[in-house]
This record gives sequence, C-alpha cells and structure tokens, in this order.
Amino acid sequence: MMRTRSKLALLAVAAWAPLSAQALNIFACEPEWAALARQLAPGAHITSATHAYQDPHYIEARPSLIARLRRADLAVCSGAALEAGWLPALQQRAANPAVQPGQAGMLFVAEQVETIGQVEHVPLGAGDVHPEGNPHLHLDPERMRKAAAVLSQRLAQVDPQQAGAYRSRYLRWSLAWQQRLDDWRQRARPLKGQRVVVQHSTFDYWWRWLGIEVVADLEPKPGVPPTPRHLNALVAKVEQNRPLAIVHSWYQDPNSAHWLAERTGIPVVSLPSTTMAEQGLETPAELFEYLLQQLLDAHHAD
Amino acid sequence: MTFSSVRWFVPLALLAGAQAHAEVQAPDISLIIDAYHSSNDTALGGRTKGWGLSHTELGISQQFGSFARGTLTTVLEANEDETDVSVEEAYLQSLSLPAGMTLRAGRFLSDLGYLNGQHPHADSFTQRPLMYRAFLGGHYYDDGVGVSLVVPTDLYWRISAEAFDGGELGEYETDSTVGTWALSTTLGGDLSRSHSWQAGVSYLRNRMLEADTDAHDDHHHHEHDHEGGAHGHSHGAEYAGKHLYLADLVWKWAPEGNNRNRQLTLSAEYARATDLNEHASSDEYHEGWYGSAVYRFAPQWSAGLRHGRVDVKLGHDDHFHDGALEETTAMLAWSPSHSQTLRVQYTHQDAVEDWHDTFAGADNTVTVQYIVSFGAHDAHAF
Repeated sequence: MMRTRSKLALLAVAAWAPLSAQALNIFACEPEWAALARQLAPGAHITSATHAYQDPHYIEARPSLIARLRRADLAVCSGAALEAGWLPALQQRAANPAVQPGQAGMLFVAEQVETIGQVEHVPLGAGDVHPEGNPHLHLDPERMRKAAAVLSQRLAQVDPQQAGAYRSRYLRWSLAWQQRLDDWRQRARPLKGQRVVVQHSTFDYWWRWLGIEVVADLEPKPGVPPTPRHLNALVAKVEQNRPLAIVHSWYQDPNSAHWLAERTGIPVVSLPSTTMAEQGLETPAELFEYLLQQLLDAHHAD
Repeated sequence: MTFSSVRWFVPLALLAGAQAHAEVQAPDISLIIDAYHSSNDTALGGRTKGWGLSHTELGISQQFGSFARGTLTTVLEANEDETDVSVEEAYLQSLSLPAGMTLRAGRFLSDLGYLNGQHPHADSFTQRPLMYRAFLGGHYYDDGVGVSLVVPTDLYWRISAEAFDGGELGEYETDSTVGTWALSTTLGGDLSRSHSWQAGVSYLRNRMLEADTDAHDDHHHHEHDHEGGAHGHSHGAEYAGKHLYLADLVWKWAPEGNNRNRQLTLSAEYARATDLNEHASSDEYHEGWYGSAVYRFAPQWSAGLRHGRVDVKLGHDDHFHDGALEETTAMLAWSPSHSQTLRVQYTHQDAVEDWHDTFAGADNTVTVQYIVSFGAHDAHAF
C-alpha cells in the first residue's frame, strides 16, 4: 500500500516537474496586466506586483518583488513613468537579463499603445506629470484590446514554441471583446455628456471612452494630495456644475471626496482602478462591466 | 582620493563604450542638494556647526545597451571651515550576466549592513547612526570589484562578495592590493500584504590592520578623533578591527501594503569589531547598535526616533580605555513633493564613558535640513 502510494507520488512529481519547468513566468507590475495575461496565456505562472488597494505610483522595491522579478521570463508594465519610482530598483537588484529595459522580456504597454496627455516638457512645479502621457491606459476598453494584441505578440516572441497557441487565443479573446464593446457602448449611451469630479487622472481614459466630462480634480496638482484650501475652492464649482458623482479609486483615502459630498450633496462613487479577484473582478471584462454598472446605478439614482 | 577613482573609471568606461556603442542612450543626470543648518557640532562625525552643504551630489548614470550601466557620483560637502569634493561612485555594473549574477567594478558602496548601500539623501535622519560613523566612516565605499548573486527562490536571498583596495577605510601604511574584503547576505520577504521584512548579516575583513605594524591604533586615534570632531566629513573608520561583523533587521508595515498614505519602518543593526590590535584580548572589542522607528502618518509627513550606542576601546600603548557614546535622535520631515524634503532633527548625545575628551563634542544639537533633487535619480531601495 505504502509502496503504491509513493510510486504514485513519484509519478505525480514526474508529470508535474517538466510542465512547471516550462511554464512561462510572467511578472505584471499592475493587476490588469496579470489579468490580461491570464486570458492570453492561461498555462503561465503569473503574479502581479501590486493590487487594487495600492497606489501604483508609490510601491516599495520590496525583497519579495525582487525575488519574483528574478525568476520572470516576461515583465508587463504600464510604463509612461508610472513605475519609475520602483521598477528600476527591482530591475537593478533582480539581476535578470531577460527583463532589463530594451529586452523582449520587458514590455511597457505605453511604448506600444498611444497615450493621451503627452507633453513636450513638464514645467517646474506642475506636480507629478509624466511627459510620456497618462499611464493609466488600461482603462480604455479599445486600448485594452490593442494591449492584448501587443501582449500576445510579445508572448509569442519570448515563448516561440507556443506562438500559434497565443495567436489563436488572442483571436478568440478579441472577438469576444468586440461583442462586449458593442454591448457596453450601447448601455453607456445615457452617460454621454455627464460630468464627474475626480481625484487624480486615473480614470481619464474611461471618461473619454464614455464621453463623460471631468469638471474638477480633488488634487490641486497631479499627484499632490487634496488640500483644504483647494477643496474649499471646489465647492462653488461643483454646485454650479451638478456632476453625476465624485469619484475616487479604492486605494485613495475617501475623506476628501466625502468632505466635498457633504457640502454639495453630490454622491461619492468609489471605483476600482484595476482588477481584483477577491472582489469578483478577475478579468478585464469583469472590471469594465463593474465600472459601467456603478456609473449607471449612480445615474439612475440621480 | 578623487584622482584614484578617475583612474578606475576611464578604462572601464572606454571598455563599455567599445562594447555597446551601437545602443547608447542619453545619460541620466541628477543633482541632489542637501543644505542644512546645525546648532552644534556632534561627537564622532556628523554635521558641523553652522550653515553647510552635506552630501550634495551630482550623479551621471549611463546605460550601455543591455550590457552594463555606468554610474559616476561626485559629492560636494561644504561647511564654514572647509569644502570637500570627492568621487564616491565611479563604477560599471553588469546587466546581462546569467544565473542572477551582477558584477561591479570601480568605486562603489559596499553591500554591508542595511544602510551602507543606500545613498545618504534617502536616509530618514540627517546623519548616519553612530555605529556607521564609528566603524565605517559614515558609509563605506572603495575601489574594487564585487559580485553578487540573487538566488532564484521564493524568498529573496542575495549573497555578495567584494574585494577592495582599502584606501577609503583609513590611512594605513600598507601596500597590499586587497586591503579589505567583504561578504554579505540578505534575506527578505512579505509576511502578508501589510508586513514585509529583510534581514542580513555581513562581514568586513580589514587586512591593512596587520600590515600596518607600527603601533597603529595609538597614532591613528588621536589624529582621527580631531578630524572627525572638527570637520564632520571624515571618511575612513575611526575605530577598526581586523574583523567587523554586522547584522541588520528591517520590518515595514503599511495598511494593505499601500505605503502612499501611511507606513511604519522599524530597523535595527548591530556591529562588532574584533582583533583591534596585537594587544587586544578576545573580550576587548568595539561594539555598536541602533534601533530606529520612522512613521509616515500622512502622504507628506513622517516622524522618526532613533537610539544608538557605541562601546569602543580606546587604545593607549599596550592597553585600552573604555569609551561609550549614546545618541538619541528625533526628527520630523515634510515632503511637499517627491523631490523635496524639509527636516528638523533634534540630537542628544551622551558620553557615557570618556577618556581624554574623545567624545568632547557630545551635546544637544538641532539640525534643519532641506533636500531638493533635480533630474532622474535612482529609485529608492527597500
């Protein structure tokens, strides 16, 4: 009995070992790229360096992240300087040639998919503005599809043996995505022309896609936390515009949004800026579905 | 000092340039200004009284294709007595070695301990803990080669070995090529989303101490005490032993791992230098430690407390006198943006045991420090 069991165990190990040795190891800087990679490379070992309750601009180059990047075959990050404060430190310490800048194993999505808000140079004192443009491009469903195309090509490049599988999986995913896009576009019609108050430029791509206008930002300058003086100045502006909602991300302190909501009667909507499996938002599609539904709910309640 | 590192850098830069000229990107240039006012001198180095610039650094970093990265850091220190320019880093670092290896050559900061490998402008306090000032000259950099290995495990595990000519650790009369060598290892990981840690042990061998035979400790001390006390910017260890052992532990907490709004950092290090000279018995050694707690309670604000102590043996002919110095530091820092920090720090020093006014400068000091950085500078380490 014991013998059979240990033989079985050996067999199991033998069956599993070569598979795990071959599984592509993917390091995603942000959860949305991990979620997208899971759609396109379900057999890969995929981890995300950050989660929806973290501000992706401010991540510590922790030892655990160095250890993860050390073993990655492919790193997928937003780019456009979003990770400038921590990814270079990880790359330097991880000593992994595959994921150094310029290598096939290092994919910055913003280098392949056009960003909005690019500027020639950032004037002194403008806040944390990226000249490369707004890095939160995953919140545009169209750009998400372009990102998927880029990612599937990159997967084929670093793992050529499975190139065919990556291509066909992308095609299937893309077709399904097109159907979703049509559906979302139709349902989002009532939101067109609505106004919102935001905290940071996180959802700029999403507002553009929906045709929603941003009338005020709780941040006095990009990346600078809200100040009482700035919030006070917003009260009149918000009352005049009567926006649909005051929106902040899950990872942000909600106090400023609530302060303004109390004075203006505009509801606060807290939105995830990325996927989070524990909250039932495992795939990019589930994320957009949720974002859309939250705004539609706010609109109906209005 | 400056000259010898240029001697290192030029051939290395040429070598790198020749290998990777096809893909040369624009260099990253950074300037970090650290201006301060200090109400007093402190014992055992640190900032000098009055207005000054401390560790104002001009850094140039250039990536040579995917092959290597070159870094040159020039440091200016100026106070009311003197102005000192030195080259603290001039090295090439490999980027494409297999098996998690990294090679460094030139002048660079040793991987010893927790703080040593970090640039002082990233510190939470205006000056390094006593044990760094006593045993490593604040921060130890030198000319040499180093190799480190990151093991491909779930747990972070790095092993480093370095060999230096030793010229920056102290003024010894020695002609050994390898004056010092060092071994260090660091482990680290996450306990949960909110908690992460890092721990390390390191060892520094000072081979110059035995080569420099003439009653070294005697003359060394008197000379260096004055230098350290009066000018603040003394490189080289004030208190040395053939063997220096270090242990460090860092623990960080941030709610949900979101360190933007709140973060607590606890760190502690211990150091022991043994085999001080030929007269030292096995229970005569230098020792030092510190513990520090820094809490960022709002995105732009942090407060910190640090306490440390060194117990040293002051060499006097064939015997020693005990010396002990304690330092307690409290600081409050405001960072209106990621490129600026204004810090107020109060330092209390207490010469617990003194001999011949070695720690004569021990006193209370208030320091105001303003750090501003321009250009791209290295992302900060854990």
